[in-house]
Amino acid sequence: MNIATFILKNAARNKRRLLLSVLSAAVSLFLLVTLMVVLRELTQPPSDGDSSLRVCVRNKVSLAATLPQRQRAEIEKVPGVVVCSPFVWFGGKFKEDEQMIFGTIACDPEKLPQLLQEMKIDPEEYAAFLKDRTTCLVGHDALESEKFKAMGLKVGDRFTVMSGIYPTTLELKIAGSYRGTIDDRNIFFHHKYLDESLKDWGLTGMWWLRIDKAESMGPVNTAIEAAFANTANEVRAESERAFQMSFVSMLSGLKEVIAGISIAVLITLFLVTASTMSMAIRERFRELAILKAIGYQRRELFAFILAESFGLSALGASIGAGGAWALYTFADMKKATGGFFVSFEVTPHMLGTAALIACILGIASSLAPALSVSRMSVVEALKTLD
Amino acid sequence: MTPIVAIRDLTKVYERGGVTVAALDHVTLDIAQGEFLALMGPSGSGKSTLLHIIAGIDRPTGGSCQVGKVTVTELTESELADWRNQNVGFVFQSFNLIPVLSAYENVELPLLLMNLSGTKRKQLVNTALELVGLSDRAHHLPKQLSGGQEQRVAIARAIVTDPALIVADEPTGNLDSHSADEVLQILQTLSSKAIGKTVIMVTHDPRAAGYGTRTLHLEKGRLKE
Repeated sequence: MNIATFILKNAARNKRRLLLSVLSAAVSLFLLVTLMVVLRELTQPPSDGDSSLRVCVRNKVSLAATLPQRQRAEIEKVPGVVVCSPFVWFGGKFKEDEQMIFGTIACDPEKLPQLLQEMKIDPEEYAAFLKDRTTCLVGHDALESEKFKAMGLKVGDRFTVMSGIYPTTLELKIAGSYRGTIDDRNIFFHHKYLDESLKDWGLTGMWWLRIDKAESMGPVNTAIEAAFANTANEVRAESERAFQMSFVSMLSGLKEVIAGISIAVLITLFLVTASTMSMAIRERFRELAILKAIGYQRRELFAFILAESFGLSALGASIGAGGAWALYTFADMKKATGGFFVSFEVTPHMLGTAALIACILGIASSLAPALSVSRMSVVEALKTLD
Repeated sequence: MTPIVAIRDLTKVYERGGVTVAALDHVTLDIAQGEFLALMGPSGSGKSTLLHIIAGIDRPTGGSCQVGKVTVTELTESELADWRNQNVGFVFQSFNLIPVLSAYENVELPLLLMNLSGTKRKQLVNTALELVGLSDRAHHLPKQLSGGQEQRVAIARAIVTDPALIVADEPTGNLDSHSADEVLQILQTLSSKAIGKTVIMVTHDPRAAGYGTRTLHLEKGRLKE
């Protein structure tokens, strides 16, 4: 036997309590990692490499305010702009009072492959999409979704989609499907079709551009904003990433809720570990007094207790955080979350944070019992319990 | 003969709820090497306090206690822990074995502090268990042993570091008479000339005290020979 064996045997003396304690730490750490992943997914939306070459141009006043289509010619003249397409978030839904997780976007179909160069599409289907302006391209994941399957929708079928934003309903024919983008759940259709249905609307929600190189981002944005300065429709030009992050700022309340839940989880973990260690030490007080009598130093008893608590927390963290990593790495989280999260990645930073928290809590929760043991009088401890 | 334990003018005063109680009142005592001393007296007479101070797990209010060449009452907490590990073996009324460790591992516990090789530890543990007649129970847990056997394991734990002094606080208090006799015979053997340990035992039982070479009575903190 050595000291490590002695600590292990002590920790495992009440197997049911050990199991429950480790499980409670594991569940807490699993939950904590999950919350960190959710927070990351909400605050740092996934982006592909080309997102640094895409620009979003929107009305400076509000995202809800539209822009006139005549701006397109001016934008296309700006040096560095390679492609320009209207972009309208249609807010489509199949039924009234329905929340649809698929994005429905009106754009210029001819420019789409240049904007999303990673998009993979069958040439024949793309040709069909270009030919008929009542058609749409549906992302592979949307087409394979439960919703589309339940409606029996496949390539060549028609469906009706009503807008949650504009006063119109469109009938769209599925020309084909695409894959390869960061989020293969969107439905792209012709901006001209929307324009017609809105009685020659002449507007767009925003402009979606591709620029020649990343270094052009600043000059292009400045030039576009300057081009429409002091007009009735001043614009704000920003990278696609910055545009996504502007949505994130709207989630600040949710971030606080998640942070609050995380703190509650940590406090619970602390209390569970502290309670376990206190009970474990209380029932062993006499034995610890005997150890002290036969020559064990204060620091050694202190270290025994810290090691036990640390080990318990570390084991819980390994199971909880490791379990979260395994689950979110190998399970299809896009499917499991009904497509709400495109990716659900546990980063090394999160695992490190979870391990650090477990270690700190493991040590902190045992400090009080460890101190009381190291300070105890052997005589008093024996008197109390004899 | 030079005493192994020399106690001079030892006092211990407790303060409990504003009341001062003198547990030991100017006790002076010498104990020779190889002596088996029985300390008797009514409850609260101070016999356990005297034992605890000699063993270095309690401190006196005044006076001194010297064991061998060491003045125990002058050692720091840390020095006392080391000193106890090498010089004192403890036997308690309620055995106080670690329930999750086997008899062998319980006996090995004090040796883990001594920087010995595994082979050396094994040799010492086996010798100690043999001495108390429990070699065949080495891998039994305390709950698998009888009370008498548990106390013999506790004695093996007390002697495994080869201490000069063995202190026993009511070692037969929880045992039937047969087991008590076995334990007392072992303590008597340990204090024999062949082995030469000094044994100090606190007991209420005159029959147990009969195994000692000398009996001292304490009453209200004072010695009465």
